[in-house]
Amino acid sequence: MTSRLDGPLKVTGGAKYGADNLLPGMVHGYVVVSTTAHGEITAMDVTAAKGAPGVIAVYSPFDSLEMRPAETPLFGTTWVPLQDREVTYYGQPIGLVVAETYEQARDAAMLIEVSYQERPAVTSFENGIPTAEIAPAPRPGVEAEITVLADGVESIEDALAASPVVVEATYSTATQNHAAMEPHSAVAEWTADGLIVYSGNQAAYIQAAELASALEIDVESVRCVNPYVGGAFGGKGRTSVTAFLAAAAARALDRPVKVVLTREQVFTATATRPATLQKIALGAAEDGTLTAIRHDSWSSTAMDRSFVEPTSHGTSREWYATPNLAVSQRMVPLNVPPVTYMRAPGEAPGSFALESAMDELAIALNMDPIELRLRNNSTAPPGHDLLWSSKHLDECYRIGADRFGWAERSPDGRADGDWLVGMGTATAMFPAIRFPATVRVTLRDDDTAEVGTAGADPGTGLWTVMSLVGAESLDIAQDRVIPLLGDSALPPGGLSGGSTATASVGSAIMAAATQVIDDLTALASSAGAPFEALEVSYEDGRVLAGGRSMSFGELLRATGNTTISATATSAPGEELTKHSFSSFGAQFVEVRVHKWTREARVSRMLGVFDAGRIINEKTARSQIMGGMIWGVSAALHEGLEIEANGRFANADLANYLVPVNADIPAVDVHFVQYPDTLHNPVGAKGLGEIGTVGMAAAVANAIHNATGIRVRHIPIVIEDLID
Amino acid sequence: MRPFELTAPESVADAVASPGTFLAGGTTLVDLMKLNVMTPQRVLDINALPLRGIDTSDGLRIGALERMSDIAAHPGVYPVISRALLQSASQQLRNMASIGGNLLQRTRCGYFRDVNMPCNKRQPGSGCSAINGVNRMHAILGTSDSCVATHASDVAVAFVALDAEITLAGASGTRTVKLDDFYRVPGDTPDVENDLRPGELITEVVVPRLDWARRSTYVKVRDRQSYEFALASAAVALDIQDGQIADARVAAGGVATKPWRLTAVEEALRGRPATTQSFEDAASVAADGAKPLSHNSFKPALLRRTVVRALIEGSR
Repeated sequence: MTSRLDGPLKVTGGAKYGADNLLPGMVHGYVVVSTTAHGEITAMDVTAAKGAPGVIAVYSPFDSLEMRPAETPLFGTTWVPLQDREVTYYGQPIGLVVAETYEQARDAAMLIEVSYQERPAVTSFENGIPTAEIAPAPRPGVEAEITVLADGVESIEDALAASPVVVEATYSTATQNHAAMEPHSAVAEWTADGLIVYSGNQAAYIQAAELASALEIDVESVRCVNPYVGGAFGGKGRTSVTAFLAAAAARALDRPVKVVLTREQVFTATATRPATLQKIALGAAEDGTLTAIRHDSWSSTAMDRSFVEPTSHGTSREWYATPNLAVSQRMVPLNVPPVTYMRAPGEAPGSFALESAMDELAIALNMDPIELRLRNNSTAPPGHDLLWSSKHLDECYRIGADRFGWAERSPDGRADGDWLVGMGTATAMFPAIRFPATVRVTLRDDDTAEVGTAGADPGTGLWTVMSLVGAESLDIAQDRVIPLLGDSALPPGGLSGGSTATASVGSAIMAAATQVIDDLTALASSAGAPFEALEVSYEDGRVLAGGRSMSFGELLRATGNTTISATATSAPGEELTKHSFSSFGAQFVEVRVHKWTREARVSRMLGVFDAGRIINEKTARSQIMGGMIWGVSAALHEGLEIEANGRFANADLANYLVPVNADIPAVDVHFVQYPDTLHNPVGAKGLGEIGTVGMAAAVANAIHNATGIRVRHIPIVIEDLID
Repeated sequence: MRPFELTAPESVADAVASPGTFLAGGTTLVDLMKLNVMTPQRVLDINALPLRGIDTSDGLRIGALERMSDIAAHPGVYPVISRALLQSASQQLRNMASIGGNLLQRTRCGYFRDVNMPCNKRQPGSGCSAINGVNRMHAILGTSDSCVATHASDVAVAFVALDAEITLAGASGTRTVKLDDFYRVPGDTPDVENDLRPGELITEVVVPRLDWARRSTYVKVRDRQSYEFALASAAVALDIQDGQIADARVAAGGVATKPWRLTAVEEALRGRPATTQSFEDAASVAADGAKPLSHNSFKPALLRRTVVRALIEGSR
């Protein structure tokens, strides 16, 4: 097990995050946000702000920065601020004050008077359910409404009506914010070579493309640098308003500009996970065999309708064997901040509903919840011909039940003094995906090697994984491999999103290493080289032929080279036509609910996962632990309260609760390791998101076991458990 | 945060004679200055003043500048005080915050803390956003049509239960006030939170000797295990002799506009056997007179349950 390479830098303050860059002549921008959820800005009185000490410029829709909406293949259109007077949500960026110091900019921003022509704001998700719109097709060829029926079955309703046992219920989940520790921020500077932006983001090369598009300049003249990212979770996928504003203001002022959101602004000026409502009906035979699943899902969305939380598609569409299935996805557009991907988008809130419903079905059948899940274990997604490439969910459950002491669970929980104790379980799945990635491997004459790609490590462990896969692929010690990451000047790859980075980058490292070794051996046997005309092989970082060997550094020096590089791309291909791919897991939670005061606290938790090959168990465990803590947070703490006027009532870390150390006991993580080389050459599948997926349902199921109270919404709070 | 003038008075007399806002630990003041909720032009750093010392020789005397963490760790402090302190804020904040400042901390009402929202406490006459807003954390006791903000201190609840007094120094001398009388319910003037006169400074907290308060505790019920304000809390001290309750002190937090002494519960406990049934019977009146809001109709029941739990745990 290898410790995180960037760990010492992070705990000593040596890791330089975006806002840590202090450039000569740099000035500071403070973002102004709207205080209405819907309307037109009719005036902004900036006279006092412009006259305030240290103020250099004030930008607004009336005195704007030159930009246009960014267009990229991955994200489509990304909104950029200050280009019109329309306000569609409370907390929307509508201005930027630039001053010599941050405090001067902030104080001046407080002096700006904004006038609005206000319009009625639509802010209630619940009220919008009856008039919800069908969600856009998630991707070409896949509709928002999908029905799979067995031969001779007319409708999902018929399938449910014919099912001996049916459970049916409605579940809901709260709007959430990623709340990464590092607030969105950027430092931008224009040089003779173009624009440099330092800003935490999930893929430097995609951020560069969005900035180039917004600023209407060549992408080659934009360099984005983000070696360290203080948490992202989907909330730093798109380029942040701070990067757009810093870059445009730096161009206008010809000075480096830094823009940092306040914590309160992070909640509205970025994006959130949508709220969801889900109606599920499960039909089963008396022995627990599923006969029908109906999962209708509603998601809040912003007025631009650019994203919905795909809860039914992310879970019921694929998880269990069933002859009859109907899923749908609808959306309710609201005057709320943008919504976007957040760790396990679809799967996390979707599994709360599906896995709670499975628990309810197990109770209706008087069956053990694990037995019910294994009874319906699938070999392929319903209605699909492509079998799972590698699936060991049953083993996850067997090991998990044993480690957790599931056999001691009573159907009615148990008491420990004044605490009611219960256990719950839930399945977790997350699709195994990889994206095209390009990696450059460079062997250097000091016998070290560089392995580089542009993407990002927002705390995932990618730095460490790159050094390990690089060492393995080059057959050298890990400390001789220097990973390079977080710089758009590097080859494109390593986007941190969709739990894809290890499989994507790892496969590309293998390809580039193979190429550079081929080039090295060719160099060794070339004319005038030490092994001229010999059959050269490579092993242990050395070239060998004719009973002699040299390290690659020695060979480079002997041939007058300082480096030799190869760049290679690895991308998904034919395998997609042969199998279905996913990571799997079984998650277990024990909760304690106080008999009198009803607070629910998690006392034990375990996750057992089948995520293919684990490259580095230490950072893999950390990823899963973080994900599981996220799940506890969703289950018991997190939720944005949206007021009738569109304002978030709890948009700060004092009121938007996440767990503290005292809420989190030891987290037990176990991996069953079956490398999935049908999916990619490295055999690794994703870990970044699956840890959070099953937790909320496992907590809710444990609370039911402890108290007999079924709570069908998250977060579950004290008043839900007071009868 | 607007520019301000920072000075450090050298004596209590100097401090109370100087115009400005006192700064001790800064955990409330600096926070609210950053939010533009408080905009003092002159800040008086009183940390060098000789308002220190924890004396447990006869009851408890605490210098106003003693830090929460030091008081909590002091072996002679009644358990209800120590436990209330240890369940407050975070260790880092407890290391900074003074006991005098704790008693004057401002409400955590989100509308008070957002200068874009109407708030009668921050801006008299502007209206109360909480009464029809998100008010789950707000008060159900001691409220008025102009304010429903909860008093945020934990240790003040313990102090009120134990009949604590505070000593106030002012330009015209010192005076002593019972803490329970010091705090005011909002009425029509929620901006006036207490009996503090202009320039006055808390110099000391005095808890009268109460030997049986060694059997005391503080139960705080909240949405997470640490670093969060109370949905309901209860400070209790019990004088149990031969299984009978001779005397009791009970006060509640997280539910009222000031630390809320529950004398009716105390009365109902006296002379009863120290049993769960007695505790339940007595707690049944804890929320009498409560006016729940749209988001906190659970609070009367939670308050009663919290008092029962505190009495059970306090009686052990």
